[in-house]
Order: sequence, then C-alpha cells, then structure tokens
Amino acid sequence: MTLLFDTQFLFVRALKKLVRNPILIFFSLFQPIIFLVLFTQLFSKFSQVPGLFPSGITYLEFATPGILMQNAFSSALQSGTSIVEDLNSGFLQKMLVTQVSRPAILIGRLATDAFRVTVQSAIILGLAYLLGFNMATGIAGILLTLFIIAFFGFAWSGISLTLGLRTKSAETVFGIGAFLTFPLLFISTALVPGSAMPTWMQDVSSVNPISFATTAVRDLALPNAFSLSAEVTSLAVIALIALVTMSVTVYLFRKVVS
Amino acid sequence: MPDIISVSDLVEVYADGTKAVDGISFKVNEGEFFGFLGPNGAGKSTTIKILTTLLRKTSGSVSVAGLDLDKEAKEIRKIIGVQSQETSVDPELTGRENIILLGHLQQMKGKELEERVDKLLEVVGLKDAADKRAGRYSGGMKKRLDLASTLVHKPKVLFLDEPTTGLDPQSRATVWDYLEELNKKDGITIFLTTQYLEEADRLCQRLCIIDAGKIVAEGSPVGLKKDIGADAITITVQDKKSAGDKVATKAAAKELLSKIPAVIKTVDTEEGLTIYVKNGGLFVPELVRAFDKTDIELVSINISTPSLDDVFLKHTGKRIRTEELVKEVTTGRFGSRRR
Repeated sequence: MTLLFDTQFLFVRALKKLVRNPILIFFSLFQPIIFLVLFTQLFSKFSQVPGLFPSGITYLEFATPGILMQNAFSSALQSGTSIVEDLNSGFLQKMLVTQVSRPAILIGRLATDAFRVTVQSAIILGLAYLLGFNMATGIAGILLTLFIIAFFGFAWSGISLTLGLRTKSAETVFGIGAFLTFPLLFISTALVPGSAMPTWMQDVSSVNPISFATTAVRDLALPNAFSLSAEVTSLAVIALIALVTMSVTVYLFRKVVS
Repeated sequence: MPDIISVSDLVEVYADGTKAVDGISFKVNEGEFFGFLGPNGAGKSTTIKILTTLLRKTSGSVSVAGLDLDKEAKEIRKIIGVQSQETSVDPELTGRENIILLGHLQQMKGKELEERVDKLLEVVGLKDAADKRAGRYSGGMKKRLDLASTLVHKPKVLFLDEPTTGLDPQSRATVWDYLEELNKKDGITIFLTTQYLEEADRLCQRLCIIDAGKIVAEGSPVGLKKDIGADAITITVQDKKSAGDKVATKAAAKELLSKIPAVIKTVDTEEGLTIYVKNGGLFVPELVRAFDKTDIELVSINISTPSLDDVFLKHTGKRIRTEELVKEVTTGRFGSRRR
C-alpha cells in the first residue's frame, strides 16, 4: 500500500515539475519532428525504388513507426538527468531519510518518464496523421502502439536512471544517451528496410532493440502487414529486453540507495 | 530512557581505505541540544549520514530512541528529521507543496497534514510566500522551508548539519531562535554540527569535538572551557630588522616561548601564535620582556579568556573560521593604537 501511495506522490510531483517546465517536452520533440517533416520529404522518392521498400506505401508511412521509436529511445535515455538533479541538490537524500518506500522512488520516476514519452509520441503521431500517415489497424493499433512505446521507454529509462545514480553527472547521462541514439537508430530498420542495407548492417540491425520495437509498430501501421504471431514475437522480444534492463536497474538502484 | 542516541565504537572505512570515522563512542540525552564539532573532513557529516540511515557503517553499534540502526532503520526514519548541509527544496514546487510532499512521504494525510503545514509555514514565516514556487525564494527562505519540511512529522530527534551556513546574519539569528524554541518548548533533541562556535557555546548543553575521525573532547561548553585552565594570548610577530622569513621568525618565537615556565602550551595559528598561560594579565609583562632581548618584535597582543574556539584549537590544533579571527586581530590592533 505504501509503495502504491508513495509512487503516486512521486509521480504527481514529477508531473507537476514537467507541466511547470513544458519547454523540456518541446526540446525533446524538436528532433523527431525535424525527422518527421524533413526526412520524409527528403526520402519521399526512395520508397518508390522497386524491391527495397514494401510496395505501395509512402516513405512517411514507412518511417513514422521508426521515428516514434527513436523518440522513445532517446527520451528514455535522458531520463537519468532528473535523478542526478535530485541527487546533487540533496533532495534524494532528503527523501531517503523519510519512511518512503524505496522502490517507489524508482517506479515513480519510471512511470513519469513512460508517461512523458507517451505524450510526446501522441503529439508526433498526431502530426504524422496531418502529413498523411495512417494506422492500418485503426484505433486499436494506435493504443497498442502507445503501449509499446511506453513499455519500451520504461525499459530504457531504467538504464539511464542507474547511469545517473552511478555517475552523478547529468552531462554524462546526456552524452551517453546521444552517443548511443544515433548509431543504434541508423543501424536499425527504423528509417530503411533491412533489405536496403549492406550485409554487416543487416546483421547488427537484426539484433538491434530499436528494430524489434519498430517492427512491432510497423506491422500495426502498414496495410496488410499485421499477423498475430509476428506481433506476439515482437512484443515478447521487447518484454525480454525490458526484463534485462529492469534487472540491471533494480540491482544498481539497490546498491546506491541501500 | 535517558539517552536517545547511543553510539559505540563506530567505524566507517570508505571503499578507498580512508578511515573517516575511527571508533567513536558517545551518547546524547533525550531533550538535549547536542553539538558535534570538528574541522572540515573530521568525520562530522559521515557520522550524521550513518546516524540518519543514509550510509552503512563499517562496524560498531548505534541506537536511536532505543531502536537498533541495523534492524530498525525504517522505524528510526519515522522519528528523525534531517536537514543536510545543502538546502534541498524542490524549486518547481511551491513552499506548501514541498512540505506536503514530505508529509506524504512520512505517511501523513488529510486534515492533520493540512493543519500541520499551515502551522509550520506560519512558524517559519513563509505564510505569505507559501504558494510561490520555492525556486523564487531567497536563500534564507529556502533554508527555512527546508527546515519546516523536515519537521512536518514532529520528529523526536532533529539532525542539523551546518543549518545556517550561507545565510545572512539576520536569517541566521531567526533560524537559531527557532531551533532554541523547538528544543526548549517541544523538547526535541537536537544534534547539531556547526561552524558558528559562539552559537554552539550559547545553545548546546553538551559538545563533542571530533578530529581526524576520533573524539578528542567531550563535555559542556562551560566545562570544556574550564578544562583549558588558562587564558589564551594570541600574538603576531615579525623580525625587527627586516621583513624576513615569517616562518622562521614564528619558529624562533615559539622556541623562545617554550623556555618560559609559565607557558602551558603554544599553538601555531595562521595569523601568529596562541599561548596558553594560567593568568594572562600577569604574564604579559614577562612576555614583553622576553621578546625585548631578541630580534623578534611583538606586533600585537590579544588576551582572551578561553572561548570555545580556544577549546577547539587546543584539541584539534586548528581554528574553525580563520576569517573571523583575522578580523578580531585587526580590530585589536586598531583599538590599541587609539588608546
């Protein structure tokens, strides 16, 4: 019960901070929106090259799921900066000398980040719709997409959080986030299909978490792409990644706040 | 239950092998205003971190209000309030929200919490600013808010790590007054570390002085000062002929003093030398005569009955705040010239 209440208090706290500092949301939306508007224009003819892209779809339709995942990934990787702020201001220690449930500090933070990523994704998705994107599986697909994004974000913000707790430096968290995002984005199927890549890239891409998450959403978005078994497989892989990242997170978090 | 905090053989060794706390033992009585003093890096903050469950001790035993630190850390957290060195308030929450959040985390709710928050805001003088974001508060206001939020659950023991550092004199006085009232009226035990020795002298019923991880003195401020059993004479010296090597001049003066039987102890300070003698007033002529025969000139002489600062200096060999002492010496010289 305490865990539930404390998580709620800390979630509300973080939400208030976010609402009072909305500029942060817009900053992190800047990059995906540039991608969405400029990349999809820049590459609009590429999707017509026969044999490379699934036929009969626009590049916007192809890339939107990837851009959503890129946003989820990079936003999540920045979430550690908030705990660094609490750590360096002494606020974390102030909370730790109260009876607060320890896991609540972690879960409250992760829940807020998942919420933030979901809101950002809804904005990106809305913009994509304005540009001509369509989700083939309709409203159910949209909801499942947002769920996948929240889950994917949840998994990676934990890593960022523990990184923050270890290094106590917002710059490091930020740097590592940026350092990981681009290579992982470009060596994934987020922006181009695997068939368009050199072999070594295909190999890396096939084990890249961003590729799995993108595929899970792309299968919902593109016409006639959905198959239950493929979707379940994608989701299972994402869940597995989350399990690994969360185990590491919990382990390191315990070491720091024990 | 006479002692509310009991520490025995507490040791803290950091991962890099540094012995931050080296086997200290002490007790704090219930309702006491207890001072824990020491130079920077002596182990004060480390000890507070252990006592407040933030840091795991290497060995030794600690109990707070009869609760064992190892087994009942959570119970301890219910009855302690901690204000750390850095002011920690959430700048994006209002003053009121800051206190309410801490109240929630201490499992308070509803009307009880509301009333408590209103009262605290009034007591620390933040009623009018309660609904402004804490980030817009002045340093003094933030500190008072921090204090109010650590008091929300009516702790039995309050740990204060340098509670007035960085405050202007007026805010400092307000905080001290409030702490004194908390201790006297509400009977809250206060465990304090501070650099303001005059305040510690005035407020604390008992003190411990810690240096290099060990307790070097313990007792009431009056008792500790009495223990010195001597007046402190602070002198500054220079070479009569040339500006010369200051360190050598000081060493020569120290050597000279060590031969005078009346001198109990001479301690190097940044400004000069502090000499401890039984009766300061009577010793001054002898001191002047002794230096007359040498090439060392006495630039200034300042006699004082022992202060906590002298107690501190005697046990640790360090002054706590040199800048204040410099001021004292300068005014002393100026004053004597006018006379």
